[in-house]
Amino acid sequence: MGPGSQFCHVRGAKFLDAQRLTKTYRVGTEIVYALRDVNFAALQGDFVVINGPSGSGKTTFLNLMSVIDRPTSGEVFIESQATSTQSEGQLAYLRKTKIGLVFQSFNLIPVLSAAENVEYPLLLQRRPKAERQERVAALLAEVGLSDLARRRPNELSGGQRQRVAIARALVSGPMIVLADEPTANLDSKTGEAVMDLMRRLNEEHCVTFIVVTHDPAVSRYAGRRVRIHDGRLEEGEGDGVAASAA
Amino acid sequence: MGWRLPLRSLWRNRRRTILSLAVIALGTAVSVFVLGFLENSRLQIQDSSVQEYGNIQVASPKLWTGTTDGYDYLIAASDAERVSALLAADPAYRGSTRQLQFPGLLGSGRETHVVRVTCVEPANGVLDFGDHAVAGRGLVTSDSAAAFVGRALAKRLSLSVGDPVMLTLTTANGAYNASPFTVVGIYQYSTEQFERQVIFVPLAFGQRLLNTAGVDRIVVSLDGIASTEPARARFTASLVGTGLSLEARTWDELSPFYRQLASYFSALFAFLSIVLSVLVFFIILQVLTLAFLERTREIGTLRALGTTRQEVFRLFFAESAWLAVIGSAVGLGLGVVLAGAFNTVGIQWLPPGTIDPVKLAARLGPTTLLVPLCVSLVATLLAALYPSVQASRLRVVDALRVE
Repeated sequence: MGPGSQFCHVRGAKFLDAQRLTKTYRVGTEIVYALRDVNFAALQGDFVVINGPSGSGKTTFLNLMSVIDRPTSGEVFIESQATSTQSEGQLAYLRKTKIGLVFQSFNLIPVLSAAENVEYPLLLQRRPKAERQERVAALLAEVGLSDLARRRPNELSGGQRQRVAIARALVSGPMIVLADEPTANLDSKTGEAVMDLMRRLNEEHCVTFIVVTHDPAVSRYAGRRVRIHDGRLEEGEGDGVAASAA
Repeated sequence: MGWRLPLRSLWRNRRRTILSLAVIALGTAVSVFVLGFLENSRLQIQDSSVQEYGNIQVASPKLWTGTTDGYDYLIAASDAERVSALLAADPAYRGSTRQLQFPGLLGSGRETHVVRVTCVEPANGVLDFGDHAVAGRGLVTSDSAAAFVGRALAKRLSLSVGDPVMLTLTTANGAYNASPFTVVGIYQYSTEQFERQVIFVPLAFGQRLLNTAGVDRIVVSLDGIASTEPARARFTASLVGTGLSLEARTWDELSPFYRQLASYFSALFAFLSIVLSVLVFFIILQVLTLAFLERTREIGTLRALGTTRQEVFRLFFAESAWLAVIGSAVGLGLGVVLAGAFNTVGIQWLPPGTIDPVKLAARLGPTTLLVPLCVSLVATLLAALYPSVQASRLRVVDALRVE
């Protein structure tokens, strides 16, 4: 049993539900649609890969799911709670406790060591030191970086950095991990290793993973495959549950 | 992480941190040094003013307001006796002298000069200037027709100890009077004007010359400058009980030169502090704004991980607080070293109107250290407010887009 197992949530429960999401941007006098009337739901334990070309709205979709951005219309429900009416502080709390993020460029804090980067979300939650140390050690062991715990991000390879980022995303026992192009800055072999790791963690921790990528090779890891094109979602192969094009 | 992250961010951007620290430290050090220098000058003038005026003088208000009719401001001998006894009962009292001042013409046979005759009780240690003698001696109780003259006056009239001089004056009732007396000593003082104008004679002799038994003031010496204001309040209360129309004035009220200079020094330091703090403020603002721009993506990441706006503000503000504390502390040390080195070198200069060169020095004390420290701290922290607020207000998605 992995260190995250104590946070293993009820597989199959609906955690995330997006309804009629639209996101527009104003470019000059023109209104540009990044997402159009999108419905999407993720169940606990899903491993969803959202595939689409550049500019298709992948990142916008992920930003809305991770509540770091608000939709122009529509609603994102997290554990059946509407997020549009929540304050910045409440959304920050959601991100801190229930959502893990993995970025394309790793986005580690450069002045902190690998272990400290992983520890950061626990510090935000004011967890006791002993618990923090135990969780960090366990997660680093799980991503195979125990020996490099004290290294700074600039002393790690791209693959190692992404593994630290994955450990950071998982450390606080989130319900869902959202990954934006996690393999884009990695060579194919390292990319595969990272995807293998995420898939394994998904299975062991029953944490929902939503991975957006333009890399078709990543799709083979999907439990459920969704395609995004011109701001619309199209359910692909797999055991998809609630993705639909508007 | 509360203190670790800000400190490490400072360490990571060493060049920028060193620049910021140098600006803050230099600003603080210059302020410490200049304030110490001005404070030393102020204290020198304060000492000299207290020497000249005593801590407190008690006299008729007419003496100071100039609304006199002849010598109607004089205090009768018996009243002066009574008041002196009253003042002597004060806990801060160290000594006093009854004084009488009047103008006269001092002639050496070859030349005459207008002087201010200051009649004092000899050898009582208060304003008799005995310890300022550079030739001969100060006045003693057995002196009668004796004068203790300033070095500049002695030089001008070519006087030496033992020389006879003639003083011509108008008596209290308007008659002419002239009297010969002997120079028993020559004193030196900080200003040439004082040395040239003031001659000291025994009070009894001066009263005979002026044809009065009265005095025009009672000069009081206290156990310290800090005792002045409280003692004045007590004197004022005591004087009310005497039924006499007398007023107690402090040395700084009597010394317009000190007041002007003290207010000039204050203005000078305030101006310098403002210039330095504005300089520190804008340089730090610039440095921190650049730092904030460079770290936009990092701020986005922190926010995306669930760090609240307040926490981001605190992180950035804590960095500036470290800069402020370290920079000001280093500046304080640097200022102390600078002042110490300056005092050791012992540069001298001749202020306008003085005869003897004065050693330039910076005197450091709680005020001269705390004021620059606080100014630097406040300027740096104020400069940090804007970038810290900006950092906390960033939209997460916008921040994450920045490469």
